[in-house]
Amino acid sequence: MDRINPTFANPRPGPIPLAALAVAAGMLLGLGCDRDQVSHATVAKEAPAPAPMAPAHASSPQTMPPMPPGAMPPGAMPPGAMPPGAMPPPPRPTGKGALKWALPKGWTEAPGSGMRYATLTPPGGGKAEMSVVVLPGQAGGEAANVNRWRGQIGLPPLEEDALAALRKAVPSKAGPVAVYDFTSLGDTRTRMVAGLLATADGNTWFFKLVGDADPVGKAKPSFMKYLGTLHLD
Amino acid sequence: MPAQRLKSFAVRCWILLASLQVTIVSLVLLMALVVLCTLAQTDMGTLGAVNAYMRSWVVMRQLQGIPFRLPLFPGGALVGLVLVANLSAALVRRFEFNPRKFGLWVVHAGLILLVAGEFVTGAFQVDTRMTIEQGQTVDYLESYRQMELVVSDLTDPARSEEYGIPDSRLRAGAAIPLPGTPITLKVKRFYVNAALSPRGPNDPPSLADRGVGAGVTLTEAPPAASDKEVNATSAFVEPVAGGRSYGTWLVSAVLGAPQTFMHEGRTYMLSMRPRRYHLPYSLTLKKFSHDIYPGTDIPKNFSSLVHLSNPARGEQRDVLIYMNQPLRYDGKAFYQASYGKGDTLSVLQVVANPGWLLPYLSCALITLGLLLHFGITLFNAIKRREKEAS
Repeated sequence: MDRINPTFANPRPGPIPLAALAVAAGMLLGLGCDRDQVSHATVAKEAPAPAPMAPAHASSPQTMPPMPPGAMPPGAMPPGAMPPGAMPPPPRPTGKGALKWALPKGWTEAPGSGMRYATLTPPGGGKAEMSVVVLPGQAGGEAANVNRWRGQIGLPPLEEDALAALRKAVPSKAGPVAVYDFTSLGDTRTRMVAGLLATADGNTWFFKLVGDADPVGKAKPSFMKYLGTLHLD
Repeated sequence: MPAQRLKSFAVRCWILLASLQVTIVSLVLLMALVVLCTLAQTDMGTLGAVNAYMRSWVVMRQLQGIPFRLPLFPGGALVGLVLVANLSAALVRRFEFNPRKFGLWVVHAGLILLVAGEFVTGAFQVDTRMTIEQGQTVDYLESYRQMELVVSDLTDPARSEEYGIPDSRLRAGAAIPLPGTPITLKVKRFYVNAALSPRGPNDPPSLADRGVGAGVTLTEAPPAASDKEVNATSAFVEPVAGGRSYGTWLVSAVLGAPQTFMHEGRTYMLSMRPRRYHLPYSLTLKKFSHDIYPGTDIPKNFSSLVHLSNPARGEQRDVLIYMNQPLRYDGKAFYQASYGKGDTLSVLQVVANPGWLLPYLSCALITLGLLLHFGITLFNAIKRREKEAS
């Protein structure tokens, strides 16, 4: 480069570099703002991932030999995966541990995924849905779960002593189901009728009918009858 | 005269900026940085080393016995900037309308473009991944490093509305309204990385009074430094809607249990996950192949046969992505990167770099410039020889 003619021809930078710098700065600022925005997307609810076609040898991705522009970090997670230490969903009870019930007339049932054991939908339209969840052990105990439910609809927690007055026990062959009925505040009221049942094998089952106050109110009698049909083989 | 001194100083600076010495020193420093960055990848991982050495103004390191970090070496960004300034100044200073020098101008322009391309890459490149199982259709990318707190409106049985707050917004004390919803999320504490454990009887009470977080003890952890680690990004947040508080929740990348609350008949779920970028098109993995050399376990080829579907453009086609043969689409390159689940899961590294053409363009310019310079010199030499002969 020292062979280039060293004539001091134009000591001042031209306007092009300055304009380019201004454009680059503008782009950087614009990009920086966009990166911090709250994003919004409407997405179809994810179906459960299809079952692997071959026996799984590794549950986490494996890094391939180097290739441009660089292989994926070995610790990177696939969607739905959790970092080390994360708790996977508990195993679903099968055989004698699986609770059985009689589906109320007109209701539909779909198998759950992840933490959910089953989803039941009452007839008649409106926003109402029932979920069945099973967890090993006491799952925090009755008071913690009742207050969790209350928190979900914006109600303040209750002292343990206050639960007895609100609890209704529904007898079933699998044991008594403790049922609570809460309605939220606000213009559009949400009602939640939820029960929990501790079975002899150490699991705790949760039954939660939730939705708009009117359809839940209509479905409640069937729900209570449904709880009475719960049984283990 | 001070004015004359100042002018003389400015002229000396200008001559120094355009000098060959600065070019040589910059190139030597860049070579040293490449070596240091390569060595540092052992401890820091690829991304950490590139950020610390190549995309920084100054390389800062902590030495044993010194409680703070010291500037040890000029970073790649600084050296690159000096080199660009040097080459630009050399071009301007020595500019001459001489057709014989045209090839050298082109070479200089190519070199400037090469360094500028790295700045564009550093500033604008977004590295993400797409993970697909065989038979699955995916229409979003996930960030390797960035996380987002997502509030999902699950009320519609078929679709959910997802509002993602990037981790860069989750600083303690921030109140973040979610546009289009009545919800404002108050961030009480934010942790880039944390260790979570079940709360023991002697542990202090959790900040969370709702959800599973009430039974969890959280300890702040240093951010993951290498590619092999993943941050357990966590936050204590309080959703407020219609003037009512829905309590304080712990939302963490390591909590798999769904945490929901209901407001005015709508169900909202809180979760923390790698940041997602939704696409207007989707890829379906039809088949992943992991070929090996016969009789050995040595990999021969990895490939993903995907179906690209873009209804907006009326585009439906199959594409085979394999080693070093990415799918280039929509300004992104989808590289085959990893696999798993007994060869039924494929991970594509997705690189969106608006400046990806610049290195190719600069190499072409440098080659063209050298060819031009060689051709012009050869032509002049032949002409001179003919003249001497006649």
